Amino acid sequence: MNNKILSKTVFYLVVTTIVLAILIPIFFFVSSSFYSGYEMYRFPKPMFPETKFEFKIDWDTEYNMYNLMIYEQSEDAYELLISSAKPKDFRRYLKRELSIVKEDEEIEADFAPAKDGPIYLTYKKNMFYNYVTFFSITNKAEKAIVNSLMAAGWTILISLTIGSMAGYAMARYKFKGKERLSVSLLLVRMFPIVAVSIPMLVYLIKMGLNNTMIGLAVVYSVSNIALTAWITNSIFLGISVELEEASIVFGANKIQTFFKITLPLAVPGLIASSMYAFLTAWNDAITALILSGDNPTLSLVVYKALGSSGAMQLAAAGAVILFLPALIFTFIIKNYINQMWGDVKF
Amino acid sequence: MNKKFKKLVPYVLLTPALVYYLLFWIRPVLRAFVESVTDLEGKLSFSNYINVFQDSYFKQAFSNSIIFAVFSVILSFVLAFLVALLLNRKFRGANLLLFIALVPMAFPPTAVAILWKTGFTTFGWINNILVQLNLISEPILWLTAKGNEALFFLIFIDTWTVMPSVMIILLAGLQNLNKEYEEAAVILGASKFQVIKDIIMPILRPTIVTAVILRMIGALQVWMIAVMMFGYGRVPFLVERIAYYTDIVPMLENSYKMSLTYSVVVTIIVLVSVTAYLRANRTKQGGVV
Repeated sequence: MNNKILSKTVFYLVVTTIVLAILIPIFFFVSSSFYSGYEMYRFPKPMFPETKFEFKIDWDTEYNMYNLMIYEQSEDAYELLISSAKPKDFRRYLKRELSIVKEDEEIEADFAPAKDGPIYLTYKKNMFYNYVTFFSITNKAEKAIVNSLMAAGWTILISLTIGSMAGYAMARYKFKGKERLSVSLLLVRMFPIVAVSIPMLVYLIKMGLNNTMIGLAVVYSVSNIALTAWITNSIFLGISVELEEASIVFGANKIQTFFKITLPLAVPGLIASSMYAFLTAWNDAITALILSGDNPTLSLVVYKALGSSGAMQLAAAGAVILFLPALIFTFIIKNYINQMWGDVKF
Repeated sequence: MNKKFKKLVPYVLLTPALVYYLLFWIRPVLRAFVESVTDLEGKLSFSNYINVFQDSYFKQAFSNSIIFAVFSVILSFVLAFLVALLLNRKFRGANLLLFIALVPMAFPPTAVAILWKTGFTTFGWINNILVQLNLISEPILWLTAKGNEALFFLIFIDTWTVMPSVMIILLAGLQNLNKEYEEAAVILGASKFQVIKDIIMPILRPTIVTAVILRMIGALQVWMIAVMMFGYGRVPFLVERIAYYTDIVPMLENSYKMSLTYSVVVTIIVLVSVTAYLRANRTKQGGVV
C-alpha cells in the first residue's frame, strides 16, 4: 500500500517536472516581450513585468532642472534616472526606457508642482509598446507578415494540387514502379533543402522570381509535395472503394463520385497537409535568407531584429508574433504528425 | 479503348509531381553538384572543395555538426522515450500533458533562439530566477562560453525544442504495440526493465529508426540557434557557414561557390549518415532474428 503511494508520488513528481520544464521558459519568454528597456537590464528584477512605475520628482534649484527618480522595490528607495529642464528629454526617456507614452505638455503640467517641493506620481506603462515598436522600427515587419502568409499560401496551393493527385494515384491504381516511387518520396523529404535553395537562386533570377514569395514557395513545395502525397495516400487508402462503387451503382458518374464522396472524406487529410505546408513556409529562415533576402519573411525579420535593434525585448515581441500562428497550427495537425514519417497512426 | 485509357490515369495523375521533381529537385541538385566541381570560369576543378576544406572554420564546423548530431540524437531519444513511456500509461491528465509536451515543437527556430537568448543573456530571466532562489549571488555569464562548452550548451537547449517531435513518433509506436506481449512477459516473471529492453524496444524498432533518422537529419542542419546565441563563428556548423556566406559576406567573389559547395557537403553527410544508420540497423536486426 505504502509502496503504491510512493510510486504515485514519484510519478506525479516526474509529470510536474516535465510540465514546469516546458512552461517556465515559455512563460518568461512571453513575459520578456512585455519588459521595458529599463526592466530588461534591471537586475535582479521582479518575476513579472511591471504595469506601472512610481516616480519621485524634485527640482534642483542650483541647476534649475528636474530630477526624475524611480522607485526601486528591491532597495526600497528612489533611484535617479535623468535630470533635465526640458520636458522633451523626459518624454523621450520615458518612452524609450520605460514604455511610457506621454506628451510634452502633459509632462510639463505633471512636473511643475515639483518646483515647490518633491512630488510623487505613478505612470502607467504601455504594455504593448514592444509590439507596436517592433512594427515601427523594423519597417519591413508588416510587409513581412504578408510575405510569410503569401509564401505559405503558394506552398499550400502548389503542394496540395500536385501532391494529392500523386497520393490519389498511389492509393487507387496499380502501376509499375510504385514501390520505387514511395521510396523516392521519402528520399525527397530527407533531403537537405539548402542543397536545393542555393542552385535554385540562379533559376529564379532567370525567371525573375528571386525575392518573390512564389519563388520561395517553389522550393518549400519540394518537400511538401512528397509529404502531401504520403498523407493523402494513406487517407485515400482509408476510404473504402466499395463506397465509391456504391455511388456509381446509384447512378453517379466517376467525377461526381470523386467530388461528392471521396473528396469530402479526404478533407481532414488535406487540411493536415496544408497546415504542414503552412508551417514549412512560416518557420523557415535559411531558404528565405538565400532566395529572398531583400524581401524578407517574418521569420527572417525577427532573426535580423535581434542583430539590428539590439533591444532584446523588441525581438522577443517579434518572436511571440511569429510563434502564435505556428502554435495554433501545430495543435490542429497534432493528430497527423505521425503520418509525416510513415504509416503510424494515432 | 476505355481500358487503355484507364491504364493511363495513374500516369496522368503522377506526371505533375514527376515534372515538378525533375525541374525543381533533380535539376537544381545536379546543377549544385556540377557547379561545385567547376571553377568560376566553368572549367572542371576541385578548387571549391579545396577552398571549403581549407576554410579556417571547416574542420570545426564539420566536427561540431557531427558531435551535435550524435549527442542530440542520444539525448533527445532517451528523454523522448522516457516521456513517451510515461504518457503511454493511462492516467488523469494524460491528454493535457501530451498537449503541453507538444508546445515546444510549435516554436519556429527563430523564436526558440530568442526564447533562450532572453533567458541566458546576463540580466535574463534564468539568472534572475537563480538569484531570486538564492542559488547564485552574481549573474552567470552564460553567453561567454566557448568551444565544447558552448557546443554542449547548444545541444541541451536545442533538445528542449526537438524532443517532442521524437517523443510523439515513439508514442504512436507504443500505442500501436500489442499489449498482450507485455502482459505475457510480466506473467512469466519479467521485470519492468526487461519488458522494455526485450519486448518493447525490439518490436518498436521501425518506429525508433524513423524517429532517429528524423532527428539526425534535423540535427546535421542546425545553425540558427548557434548564430542567435553566440553570433557567427563562435560555434561554427556546416549550415551556419552557408548562412554566413549568404548573409554576412555575400559580396565576396567566391561566396556563392563556398555556400554551394558547403550545401553539397551537407547533403553528402546527411545521405551517408542516414544510409549508414539504416544499414547498421538492418544487420543488427538480422542478427537478432
